[in-house]
Amino acid sequence: MADLLPPLGTAQIDGKTKVDEKVDYSNLPCPVPYEELHREAIMSLKADNFEGLRFDFSKGLNQKFSLSHSVMMGPTEVPSQSPDTTIKIPTAHYEFGANYFDPKLMLIGRLMTDGRLNARVKADLTDRLVLKANGQLSNEPHMSHAMFNFDYMGSDYRAQLQLGNSALIGATYIQSVTPRLSLGGEVFWAGVPRKSGIGYAARYDTDKMVATAQVASTGTIAMNYVQKISEKVSLATDFAYNYLSRDVVASVGYDYILRQSRVRGKIDSNGVASALLEERLSMGLNFLLSAELDHKKKDYKFGFGLTVG
Amino acid sequence: MATNKRTGAGKSGGRDSSILAKIANHEIANKGRRAACDAVYVSKKLLRSTGKAAWIVGTSFLILVVPLLIQAERDQMLGEIELQQASILGPPPPGALQ
Repeated sequence: MADLLPPLGTAQIDGKTKVDEKVDYSNLPCPVPYEELHREAIMSLKADNFEGLRFDFSKGLNQKFSLSHSVMMGPTEVPSQSPDTTIKIPTAHYEFGANYFDPKLMLIGRLMTDGRLNARVKADLTDRLVLKANGQLSNEPHMSHAMFNFDYMGSDYRAQLQLGNSALIGATYIQSVTPRLSLGGEVFWAGVPRKSGIGYAARYDTDKMVATAQVASTGTIAMNYVQKISEKVSLATDFAYNYLSRDVVASVGYDYILRQSRVRGKIDSNGVASALLEERLSMGLNFLLSAELDHKKKDYKFGFGLTVG
Repeated sequence: MATNKRTGAGKSGGRDSSILAKIANHEIANKGRRAACDAVYVSKKLLRSTGKAAWIVGTSFLILVVPLLIQAERDQMLGEIELQQASILGPPPPGALQ
């Protein structure tokens, strides 16, 4: 049932020379990982707007080892019964983290004051095989989970196997078809809600633009397009439609990367306008301002933060 | 008597005609009043919806465009200062930190 796309004849055009050159179908570039297919669009459109105060401090003890402290204070939303009202509960927590970075091994751990421990491991087992593991332990029962990913990078394809703790198995495969076009598919099976799904994705990128499309049997159809207008400016647009729950959202956003600052803004078809400004006050000191206006629900969120190190 | 009758008749006739005039006036006045009420109602609605739209557009402009303009202007001023410094100090020596 997993009708993944068969490896097609691959083609390559040297980017610099014109179309006169014969396409060499045996030397394609390696495609982008399947979960990062839409990474340019995510950078512009899914900026992490937050509410309240956010303070992050990281200090490197060694060339490979660093610690981080972060404080977050602000209201968090609790899903409420009626869709009109949102219940916000003010919370504040401190998170301690330790990171170890090596070319072959990366370890990240985070511990929060509400008792949650989060750990991530990324290890290069061989030249082509990468293991990623992700685990979360929590005080609340049934909220702990772990996930293991095995990524294999071929010459012009990538394959990934995913195993999760509550009987979750997934596999993704993506292949470069031409130097600009890559196609991929994914399959997953979840044991606890007995569901399985299959999805397909395509990505077309040139120097100036990236277009991706994804279809999944869980009901989502997502398409996005990012155009790089200059070195500093890029515009992105995104369309998501869920044919099972009949939800549709379209959004348009911009991303300006200037020398001392980065401004990202987005407006939505749900009537949400949001913006995130990161400014570099001095070496290693970044100042963040975030704003989100939801005109339909009349919910306004503003946040500010500081990142040191 | 005849004159009285005539004047009486004239007076009542006059009163009749003035009453009729009053009635006619009343209808037109009613129509006019209704039209004025409708005009006020429509203009109030228009003003309210224009106000709402202006609020939404104004606050979204404040969030989306104003920080961008401020940052772009600061970047431009920084570029000018660098240009001035480069012209004053001359080209940097080969081993300098940029």
